[in-house]
Amino acid sequence: MRSNMFFLLVLGLTFPLSGVSQEQTTIDASRIFGDLSARHIGPALMSGRINDMEVHPTNPRIIYAGTAGGGVWKSNDSGTTFNPIFDDYCQSIGAVEVDPNDPDNTIYVGTGETWTRNSVSLGDGLYKTTDGGSNWKKIGFEKSERIANVIVNPNNSQEVYVGVLGALWGDSEERGVYKSSDGGATWIKLLYVNPKTGCADLAMDPTDPNTLYASMWEFRRTAWSFESGGANSALYKSTDGGATWNKIHNGFPEGKLGRLAIAVAPTNPEVLYTVIEAEKDERKGLYRSNDGGANWEQLNNDFGITVRPFYFSRIVVDPKDENVVVKGGLSGSISRDGGKTFKNLGNMHSDIHDIAFSIKDSDIMYVGTDGGVYRSWNGGTTMEIVQNLPLSQFYHISVDDAEPYNVYGGLQDNGSWYGPSSSPGGVNARDWKSAGQGDGFRVLKHPTKPIIYSEMQGADNVWRIDTERNLIKTIQPQPTRGVEKLRFNWNPPMAISAFQPDRFYMGSQYLHKSEDMGDSWEIISPDLTTNDPAKQNQEASGGLSVDNSGAENHTTIFTIAESPLDENVIWVGTDDGNVQVSKDGGKSWTNTVANIQGLPANTWCYHIEASSIDKGTAYAVFDGHTQNDMNPYAFKTTDYGASWTNIINGEVEGPVRNIQEDYVNPNLLFLGTEFGLYITLDGGQSWSKFTNNMPAVAVHFIDLQKRTNDLVMGTHGRGVIIIDDISPLRALTPEILDKNVHFFENSPTVISETSNFSGNFGGETEFVGPSKTKNVQLKYYLKKRHTFGKMSMEIQDMEGNKIVEIGPGKSKGINIVNWNYTRNVPKVAKGKTFTFGGFTAPQVPAGTYKAVVKKGKDTYEHSFELVYDKNSPLSKADRDMKNRITMELYDMVQELAYFVYEMDEMIAKMESDGNKKMLAKLNTLKESLVITTGDNYVGSAEPQLREKMTNLYSKVASSYDKPTKADFDNLQLITERFDKAKADYAKLKKKIKGLEGISLMSFETFLESK
Amino acid sequence: MRKLSFILSLILLFLAVPAQAQSVDEILNNYFENTGGLDQWKSLEGIKMNAKVNQQGMEIPLEIIQLKDGRQMTTINFQGKEIKQGVFDGEVLWGHNFMTMKAEKNDAEATANFKLETNDFPDPFIDYKEKGYTVEFMGTEEIEGTETYKLKLVREPLTIDGNEEQNVSFYFFDTENYVPLAVQSEIRSGQAKGMTQEITFSDYQEVDGLYFPFSMTSGLKDGPSNPMSFESIELNPQVEEAAFAFPEEIVTEEKN
Repeated sequence: MRSNMFFLLVLGLTFPLSGVSQEQTTIDASRIFGDLSARHIGPALMSGRINDMEVHPTNPRIIYAGTAGGGVWKSNDSGTTFNPIFDDYCQSIGAVEVDPNDPDNTIYVGTGETWTRNSVSLGDGLYKTTDGGSNWKKIGFEKSERIANVIVNPNNSQEVYVGVLGALWGDSEERGVYKSSDGGATWIKLLYVNPKTGCADLAMDPTDPNTLYASMWEFRRTAWSFESGGANSALYKSTDGGATWNKIHNGFPEGKLGRLAIAVAPTNPEVLYTVIEAEKDERKGLYRSNDGGANWEQLNNDFGITVRPFYFSRIVVDPKDENVVVKGGLSGSISRDGGKTFKNLGNMHSDIHDIAFSIKDSDIMYVGTDGGVYRSWNGGTTMEIVQNLPLSQFYHISVDDAEPYNVYGGLQDNGSWYGPSSSPGGVNARDWKSAGQGDGFRVLKHPTKPIIYSEMQGADNVWRIDTERNLIKTIQPQPTRGVEKLRFNWNPPMAISAFQPDRFYMGSQYLHKSEDMGDSWEIISPDLTTNDPAKQNQEASGGLSVDNSGAENHTTIFTIAESPLDENVIWVGTDDGNVQVSKDGGKSWTNTVANIQGLPANTWCYHIEASSIDKGTAYAVFDGHTQNDMNPYAFKTTDYGASWTNIINGEVEGPVRNIQEDYVNPNLLFLGTEFGLYITLDGGQSWSKFTNNMPAVAVHFIDLQKRTNDLVMGTHGRGVIIIDDISPLRALTPEILDKNVHFFENSPTVISETSNFSGNFGGETEFVGPSKTKNVQLKYYLKKRHTFGKMSMEIQDMEGNKIVEIGPGKSKGINIVNWNYTRNVPKVAKGKTFTFGGFTAPQVPAGTYKAVVKKGKDTYEHSFELVYDKNSPLSKADRDMKNRITMELYDMVQELAYFVYEMDEMIAKMESDGNKKMLAKLNTLKESLVITTGDNYVGSAEPQLREKMTNLYSKVASSYDKPTKADFDNLQLITERFDKAKADYAKLKKKIKGLEGISLMSFETFLESK
Repeated sequence: MRKLSFILSLILLFLAVPAQAQSVDEILNNYFENTGGLDQWKSLEGIKMNAKVNQQGMEIPLEIIQLKDGRQMTTINFQGKEIKQGVFDGEVLWGHNFMTMKAEKNDAEATANFKLETNDFPDPFIDYKEKGYTVEFMGTEEIEGTETYKLKLVREPLTIDGNEEQNVSFYFFDTENYVPLAVQSEIRSGQAKGMTQEITFSDYQEVDGLYFPFSMTSGLKDGPSNPMSFESIELNPQVEEAAFAFPEEIVTEEKN
C-alpha cells in the first residue's frame, strides 16, 4: 500500500511536466512519417572506409565488416555480397566480435572507429545481440567514443574483455582494458593509465584465455593538431586474466612510444608480433617475440610497416602459419618469412586497415580499406572489390536542376563524383562520373552552363570542368603580393550565387569572390577568423611521426552563403567559431557570434543556411566535437545576427553538421547530425528522428531539390540518401493532423512515355540504387492505422467509372500509393499457352481522375491530373489516334475472349451430346483462333488469331508513337480474319440443335470472372 | 540525495511498467481471445481464401487452401490458365513450371523445410510450448506508426544450402487490440538472402466467429511491398483430395 502511495506521488510529479509541454504549439512529428522513406543511391563503386573485418569461427560463408561510418555488414556468401545489420545504431564501428561459443547468435559491436584520422566519427558504446543481429542492446561504455577490441573467452561466453581506446579530442577516464564475467551485464576496469592513454590493441592467447596482451597509446587530436606518442604508451601482458599487468619491453626502442599493435600467432602462441611507433625512425617497425613477449627482436622497418601508425596499425597472422604475417598500411604488406621481409598486397584501393583470413583456406583473404572490402583468392596477390557496399563518405553534396537531377559531391579519400538521382534500371556504378582527385569535398554545378567546380584537400586544386567539351583547368585563389599566406581548410568552402551565374566564392581566412568563374579573384573581406597563431603550427603536427597532410589546417572559413533573396547579404562561418555577416556585398563585416547565447567559445561553425523566405533570417549549426563537446547546436536569427535563438532541444543527439530550411514552410527544417536525420514541423520546438530506411548515419550535408522537393543527403558512410518529395510534411498543420483522412494535393503528374533497355548481365552482385518512381503518387494522411474492417481504393474517371482497384496504405501518418496510370490488362481468350502480348496494360489518356477510398462506411475522394510530356513529339491528334486504336484492339481482344468462351461451352455441349461431326468442325475453327498445343517456351505452337491480335495490341499500346501504316494493314488483316471466324461460327451455330440448353454468362460477368 | 535517487529509480521503474507487465502468454491469450477464442481456432480444419494481387495493371486472382494436416495449395489464374504453386500433399512439395505448365517437384531441402510447418496450422503460436517452440517478449516497437508488442518466435531449425539455421520470426501485436500487424523474418535463400522480409496485416474481419486479416502486404522491410487482398475466406472447406497429389507424368505411346 505504501508503495502504491509512492507511485501516486511519482505520477503526480510526472504529470504536470507533460502538461506543460502539451500547452505549447508544438507539432509532434513522430509516428507520422508513414510511407515517406529514404532511397539509397550509393555510389558503391568506390565504397568507403572499413575499420574491422571479422570471420565466423566455424562457418566460412559468414563474414562481417565493421565500417568507419556505415555500420556493420554481414555476408552470408563468403564475401560475395553484404547486408547491413546495424542500421538503427551508431554507424561508426570500432570492433566486431563473434562469440566463439555461440557464433550464430551472439555478436558484440564496439562503436567508434579507431583509425583516428581528422574526419573520424564517434562511437556511443558497446552493443550485443543474442539473435544474430536482429535485435541489439547497448551494454555500456556510453562515453567510450572508440572501442578497439572485444574478445570473448573461447571457453566461456560470460567472460568478455574490451579494449577501449577512448576519447580522441579530450581527456576521458573511460579508457583501458575492461572485463565482464557476466556476459556484459557488469564491467570492471582492469588496466588504466591516465586520461590521455587508451587501449589501442588487445589480444588473447588462444590456448590460454588468462594470457592477454594490451597496447596502451597516448594520443590526442585537436582541430589544428595531432599528437601520437608519449611516455605512457606501452605494451603490457597479463597471465592472470587481467588482474595484474606487466610491461614487456625487453628489446623495445628507447624513449617515448606511439601506437603499438599486437598479434599472437594462432598456431604458436609463443610467437608475437608488434609494430612500434618510436622516436627514432630506424627503431620503428615490426618486432617479433618467440617467447611470449619476454624478448623482442626488430625485424623490419620498411615504409609499408612504419607508415602513419595512427591510421595503419593492424597485424594479422595467418591462422595456419605463424610465419605468414600481414600488416595494414598504405598498400598493405605480407611476409612469408616470419616478418623479415614484406611485399605489398595486390592492387586495390589504398589505406588498408584490417585483413581477415578465411577459416577454411588461407589463400582466401578479406581486406578492409579506405575504399571498401576486397577479396583475394590467391593469398593477397590479386584483389577484387565487393561491389555492393554503398559506404561512400560524402563531405558535401549539391544538386542541379536537370531532369532527372544530378547529385554532386566529394568523398573521403575517393575523389569527387556526380551521378543521376534516377537512372533506367536503377542508379548503377556506371552512372557515376568522376569529377576530381584526392580527397573530394565540395562540388558545385554552374547554375546555367555545363560547368562543374570541384576541389581537393586544402584547395590544392580547384577544378573547373567543362563537361560538354571535356576541358579542365584549375582556378584556385593563389598567393598575391601584399596578401598574407592563404589558409584553406582541409575541406575548403565554395559557393555560387543565385543572382550572377558566373559568380564563384571561395573561403581561406578571407572571402574570395570571382565574377568570371574563377579566372580572376578579388578578396572581399578582412581575415574573418580568430587568426589565432597557436592554431597555425601544422608542420609540428603528428607527434612521434610527423603528419602534416593539411588535414589540421585551422582558423579558416568553413561555410559561405549568399542570400538567395539579396546578393549583398553574405554569411560566413569559420572553423574557429566566428559567424560573420555582410549586408553590403562584402564591404563591411560584422561578427555576430557574441550574440549567440549558450554556445561555447570557438565552436566550429559547420554550416550557415541563408533563408530563402526572409532575407534577415539565417540558421547556423555548430559542431563542437573537436573540442570534445558532443552537444548539438543550432540557432536561428531573423535580424541578420543581431540576436540568435536556440532551435534545438534534448530530442537531438550528437553534433550537428547541417541544416536545411524548406523553401515554402519556414517551420519545416531538416537537421543533419552525427547520428542521423531529424525533422521539425514547428520551427525547432520539437524534433523527430527520421528512421524510415534511414540509418543512424552521419549526415554531413543536406540539399532540397527545388523542382521535385526531394531532400538529398550526403552521408559520411552510406552515400547519397534521398527522401523523395517531402511536400506532404510541408502541408501538415495541427488541423490536418486532427482529420481522420486527409489527401495531400498532387501537382499534375507527367505520363512517362520513355522506356529504355537496361539489360545488365554481370552486375548481379553490384549495388543498384532504386530510381524515383514515375508513377502518380496518391498521398494521404491517416490519423490512426487502419486495422479492422474493409478499406479499399479505386481509381475512377470523373464520371465514376472504375479504372482499377489499388491496395491502399493503412499506416498511421503519411501513406503513399503508386499508380502507373494503366488500366488492367485485357481479358484474353483461353488457350493452351499464354499469349504474352496480353500482359500489356494500356496507359490511360491524360486528364483528371479521382482516387476513391472506402474506409468502413466512409468514402473519401481526391482528384488528380495526368498530363503529357510537353517535349513529346506527338500531336494531340496523334495521341488520340494511338489511344483509340489501342482501345479498339483492347476491346477486340476481350471480344475474342468471350467468343472463345462461348465456343468452349458449345464444344462441351457437343461432347456431352456426342455430336462428333459438329465437334470436329468447332474444334477446327477454334484451332484457328487460339493455340491449343505446345508450351510457353521453345515448344510453342504456330501463333493463331489470339496471338496475332494480342501482339498487335501490345505493339500499339507499348509504343510511344501513333500506329504506323504497317500496324493499320495488320489490323485490317486481323479484323477480317476475326470477322470471318465470327461468320463461320454463325453458320455452324445455325446447324446446331438444342442451343437453349446452354446458358452463357453475359459479357460483363465474363469479364469479371477468373 | 539518497532519497532523490530513490525517487528517480521509482520513476524509471514506473516508466518501465507498461512494457514489463506484458508476458508472452498474456499477449497470446489476448490475441486468441480477441480473434475468436483459442478453442475455435484449434477446432479449425482448414481454410480456403480467394485473394487477388494487384500488380500495376495486372489483377491476379489466387486461391489458397490450407488444411490442418499441413496440406496446402495456391492456385493462380493467368489468362484463364490455372497455375499451381506451393502445393504440398504432406510429403511432396510441387508447383507448375511457368514455361511448360507441367508439375515439377521442389528441391528436397525446400520440401523438408515446408514439412516443418505442418504443425503450424492455423497459427504457429497455438500450443507453441508443446511443439518445442520458444517465444520471447522483446519489448514494444512501432509498426506503421502504431505501438506494438514484439514477440520472437523460434521454430524447428531449417536446413539452408546444407547448413542448419535457426528459424526465427518476429511478430508485432497491436498494443491496443492484440492482433498481429506485421511479421518480420530473414530471407533464407536466393539473391535477397540475409535481407529482412516484412508482411503486414490489416482489414481484420470476422468469418464465422474468427477474425482474419483481409489485406496483407509483403516486401522487404523498409522497401516497396505488394498488396494482396482477400475477397472471401471459407472455413473448413470441401476439398478435392486428388488436387494435392503430385501428378506423375504418364508416358503414353503414340499410335500411328
